[in-house]
Amino acid sequence: MSAAEYPGLPAKPGGRWKIWLAIAIIAAITAVTLAPGIGVDFSLDAIVRNWRNGAEKIGQLLVPDWSFFPRTIEPLIETLQMAVIASVIGAIVSVPLSMWAARLTNPNRITRGLVRTILNIVRAVPDLLYAAVLVAMVGVGALPGIIALVLFNVGIVVKLVSEAIESGDPGPGEAARAAGGTQTQINRAALLPDIWPPFINQALYAFELNVRASTVLGLVGAGGLGLLIDAVRTFYRYDQLALIILEILVVVVLIDWASAAMRKRLK
Amino acid sequence: MTRISPETPAGAATAASAPWSIRLRDAVVRYPNGVVGLKKISLDIEAGEMVSIVGLSGSGKSSLIRTINGLVPLSSGTLEVGGHRMDLARGRELRRLRGQIGMIFQGFNLAGRTTVLNNVLVGRLAHTSVPRTLVGAYRQRDRQLAFEALDRVGMLERVYHRAAHLSGGQQQRVAIARALAQEPGIVLADEPVASLDPPTAHAVMGDLRRINRELGITVLVNLHLLDLARGYGTRLIGLRAGEIVYDGPAATATDADFERIYGRPIGDQDLLGGQSAAPTGTPA
Amino acid sequence: MTALNTAPRTVRSAPARAITPPAKPRRPWRTVITVAITLLVVLVFWSVKVDWARTANLPADIARYLWLMFSNPAWDRVPEALWQTWRSVEMAWVGCLLGIVISFPLSFLAARGIGPAPVRLALRGLFSLIRAVPEIVIAIVILSVTGLTPLTGALALAVNGIGTLGKWGYEAIEGVHPGPIEAVKAAGGSRWQTVRWGIWPQAAPEFVSFWLYRFEINVRASAVLGLIGVGGIGDMLTSYTQYREWPTVGALLIVVIIVTIAIDLTSGAIRRRITEGSKARDLA
Repeated sequence: MSAAEYPGLPAKPGGRWKIWLAIAIIAAITAVTLAPGIGVDFSLDAIVRNWRNGAEKIGQLLVPDWSFFPRTIEPLIETLQMAVIASVIGAIVSVPLSMWAARLTNPNRITRGLVRTILNIVRAVPDLLYAAVLVAMVGVGALPGIIALVLFNVGIVVKLVSEAIESGDPGPGEAARAAGGTQTQINRAALLPDIWPPFINQALYAFELNVRASTVLGLVGAGGLGLLIDAVRTFYRYDQLALIILEILVVVVLIDWASAAMRKRLK
Repeated sequence: MTRISPETPAGAATAASAPWSIRLRDAVVRYPNGVVGLKKISLDIEAGEMVSIVGLSGSGKSSLIRTINGLVPLSSGTLEVGGHRMDLARGRELRRLRGQIGMIFQGFNLAGRTTVLNNVLVGRLAHTSVPRTLVGAYRQRDRQLAFEALDRVGMLERVYHRAAHLSGGQQQRVAIARALAQEPGIVLADEPVASLDPPTAHAVMGDLRRINRELGITVLVNLHLLDLARGYGTRLIGLRAGEIVYDGPAATATDADFERIYGRPIGDQDLLGGQSAAPTGTPA
Repeated sequence: MTALNTAPRTVRSAPARAITPPAKPRRPWRTVITVAITLLVVLVFWSVKVDWARTANLPADIARYLWLMFSNPAWDRVPEALWQTWRSVEMAWVGCLLGIVISFPLSFLAARGIGPAPVRLALRGLFSLIRAVPEIVIAIVILSVTGLTPLTGALALAVNGIGTLGKWGYEAIEGVHPGPIEAVKAAGGSRWQTVRWGIWPQAAPEFVSFWLYRFEINVRASAVLGLIGVGGIGDMLTSYTQYREWPTVGALLIVVIIVTIAIDLTSGAIRRRITEGSKARDLA
């Protein structure tokens, strides 16, 4: 066929079938996920049934209940407190853990593998699930929320920082080893100074994520704005929910902006 | 200034004050990937010598230098430095011996984001406890040694500058100060001027020669440029494929000797050029 | 100004004279900021409604609960847990596909040089608004229309996906090399021809990689959405946590961890193949 197009044209390379195969697999999985009985049920009639009532509720979102504001102040502050405390504790814990998890700072394969495995497991569980389980363990309040956020934080920061350590310059560490330092001394005196910028950067990034996450932890009883979200949603007070969402937006945007400004200055 | 504290019995710091000799017997270095770095080398270096080691890259000169402070372990053979069996030393003993051997690298190997002072204090790690290192509380005496070492290489003015903000030549001087702060019996230098321009290279080589002449420290320098090797060393060792193919006085080594070491005719690329008697201690 | 003339013959002996280093530079602003941040953190720790004294028992408590959960997990719940996990993964998949389909054209319109400025700015604002609201809040908002069904979860994930995928998308488009774009324009290509033949070939691997990464995020998020009752493993987990059936909670957590890690590994392997494959093609 190619010869007909142009004399001497080489055959088209194979490999297109891979793309078609990928598309076929995606289509098959999608078909299963939408199949009645075992899939996500796209029951449009339920939506139609709920539409009148639901649309009215959603309409309420456009008119926030400003009088609700005083009651949101305390939970909002608690949300930020949880985020700050978890970020600080998480950052402090992450320094030694990141060093244990990176080859440059921990040549021992066994301890390194152990730390990495534990952190992979810690990272696999979402923060809200931690919070749900911890509330049952230690009771409602800010404490389970803080612990859940610390776990979430450490998972992210250690992964990103240990990767940054791996890609760093081993030279200073070699010099410190040649001068007779122990591994701990090498890490502290020669390698830590160059790790600071990526570390602070990731710690601030984790703080941004924490602020977002801490707003909803209360849904399972872990303190902060989430408790309020849970209360207003039970009564379908979407006008009050609108105010809470607005507050989350403002806080998240402000914190992101401040954190981004700080990260830029550190570069 | 507490010179006598529980951690430093008086006089402990001067215990290893004499320059050190080096004795290698049938030293073999074989890397885990099978590459042989050194093939049964035997070598005696007297205390206080200034030795240039030349050879092409891959000749084993880097392996030789790194063997002497144990960064590269011997596969077989023996190594004595200053009368201590380096090849048998492990753990604390190995670190103590390394503490007496200063090392200078081609890439300077400074932590760029911290101060010159903190980099030089890395030379005191072998004499500093881990808790002190962790909080950065070096003893007054160690700081004083760091200042002296920096003064000696003309970098005292830059003591609170960030290392990364210095020029290449300045960084290498800080690295020399780091080695001097160890109060070493031996200084090893692995291609110390390969990343520097000719005048700076001569200045740094001049610093190394001063260390040797004035402090009497044994100095081993890896070089690939023959005019530097001839001009600054008192003794020249030529390596080729992991074996010593030349060992004699540096000044009288002929071009023919270098051709034997390199296994090819020598040309301009093997010379640095510029005057070799550069002024020393130039303020930057 | 050669320091060596006046310096002692050896650095090893205790310093003959104390060298005065230059004064330590002062950074008042840094001090102010450090003190301010420290005070703020202390204030937050002090003011939060947490009984810090109670945390002394915390490690023992948590160890006890871990023992309750994992010493003898309720393996007989695993089949149901897997079924609920499948419901969650379905939500993640459908939400991901919807998010891709909607965000794909939008990310092009939001990229500099393609969409008109007002559209671009409006879309970027929309993306960052969406990203600021947690998925679970979006789910709470739309469940008044869609009810407590997995569809609600999928839609919430889709909405959130528009925010993240849209942003990553326009950043990837703006990050492509300008050369091929200029080439297409120079050949007289229209705006959409430029997108198809100048931008898309370069950005495609990144897009596919983002989509897979978003699926990984969705898998975690879908487990969380169960907490508000839209079904899936999160729903099951909260119920059993409230009943304090710890062996079942332990089994559920094990299922969540294994499934999440397995999906991460698979998706990560595919992503690596795609990005490395594209690099290999660039080099060829």
